[in-house]
Amino acid sequence: MTTTVSASGIGLRYGGTRALDDVSLRLTTGVTGLLGPNGAGKTTLLRVLATALPADRGSFTVLGHDPGTARGRQEVRRRLGYLPQTPGFHPDFTAFEFVDYVAILKEMTGRAARHREVRRVLDEVGLAEVRGKRIRKLSGGMRQRVALGAALVGDPGFLVLDEPTVGLDPEQRMRFRELIAGAGEGRTVLLSTHQTEDVAMLCHRVLVMAGGRVRFEGTPAELTARAAGRVWSSTERDPGARAGWRTGTGSFRNVGDPPDGAELLEPTLEDGYLLTLDGAGTGAGAIAGEGVSA
Amino acid sequence: MVVAVSRTLPWGVVGAAGAAGLLIAAMSRTAGEAGEWLALPLLRAAILAFAMGLVFLLDDPARHTTSTVPTPRPVRTVLRVALVVPAVAAWWTVALLLVPPGIRPPAADLTLEAGAAFVLAVAGAVAAVRFSEEPRPGPRVAAGLLTASLLALLFWPGKWALFVPVEDERWAAAHDRWAVVLVAGVVVGVLGAVEPVRRRVWGRVWGRA
Repeated sequence: MTTTVSASGIGLRYGGTRALDDVSLRLTTGVTGLLGPNGAGKTTLLRVLATALPADRGSFTVLGHDPGTARGRQEVRRRLGYLPQTPGFHPDFTAFEFVDYVAILKEMTGRAARHREVRRVLDEVGLAEVRGKRIRKLSGGMRQRVALGAALVGDPGFLVLDEPTVGLDPEQRMRFRELIAGAGEGRTVLLSTHQTEDVAMLCHRVLVMAGGRVRFEGTPAELTARAAGRVWSSTERDPGARAGWRTGTGSFRNVGDPPDGAELLEPTLEDGYLLTLDGAGTGAGAIAGEGVSA
Repeated sequence: MVVAVSRTLPWGVVGAAGAAGLLIAAMSRTAGEAGEWLALPLLRAAILAFAMGLVFLLDDPARHTTSTVPTPRPVRTVLRVALVVPAVAAWWTVALLLVPPGIRPPAADLTLEAGAAFVLAVAGAVAAVRFSEEPRPGPRVAAGLLTASLLALLFWPGKWALFVPVEDERWAAAHDRWAVVLVAGVVVGVLGAVEPVRRRVWGRVWGRA
């Protein structure tokens, strides 16, 4: 698999806060998921890799170019698609006009070829029918797809998606999963999300961040395996569990270190994620203390 | 690109500020005998009103969506500014013509004041984009510009006076200072438009990384 992004020792501070602390990673073709609690540094990392925000220290390459130089950054941007956490639009533009505007800014100067490309991506994101509609009249899910279309225009080799499924209903999320899976064929996609099921269903690799550091890097199966033998069922909430909640069947699902003779359950990626955060010392208190119960 | 970028400009705000400025300038025609000494402050107020609109020039709701396009930020900024320059020139011509010739202050000197004020407004917007993540920094910059103008009017040391009446012997020296303000605004604007590839370069250079 081709290495698209290679980063070493990336650091960034906001005032006294270390937003990124010695982050090193390698991204290859396919969809890589980025999980982490709020404030973990996910968006900051994505913005650095997308060249929207310069790092304080460390180095990285994207598609063989060094964004630490003006020329390198320019080359990276020519082959990059970025969907920010809160994409903004010119609401009086139609979907077509907006993606066309982004295509112009992506240096696609030939009008006929550019319009063909805009129609292609709008078709790809399922907006062919509403391409003439003003963005202000589109639903939240459709606007999100316009932003994805803007990221996809020009067929970028590296696609950075920051929580693209936030605020979408289940049907829209399913549609987005299809789009992201399609986008990951033949290119590198870095997907930041709070939805562990998105990662389980889409990603060939997963990174877990907490406190500005990468706490886990591996496959979804390896993250899930971290919870093997550490998820169990009980009739009462187990006080020794790191997290525990009543399920729809009335029994409790506990995550942590099980007592002897506990009825073990099949772990999920979310269990592995929770235990990774627990081990990272971030959110552990909250997980252990709250013990969500219905 | 010119047409596409032109459509993203906040013409409504700029137009409203321009209309307000022209109304203020036109008041010199209805002020009767007071018009003679009111013409200069009214033109200055008109300049400030229009400058307040120009600080919205770089407001861009799609800023984050287009933050990583290969067209460099300075190019986009220059294009946005260049697109309004003809409108600004036309506005200023009309504003001057609204003041009756007999009471009109020296046009060249006042054009320098207007130019400096407009450049400062745009430089403020450029700096706001450079140092904040706000897609629409205009309102904050406008508040800052208004406050700075009022404070300068009230507390600026007389030795370096900028807002002097035509008959004041410091008029020529004041306009030398307006030229300095204009150049300083251009420098701030140019430096602010540059998109750095590294943060804290100076900190590293001086060993404070």
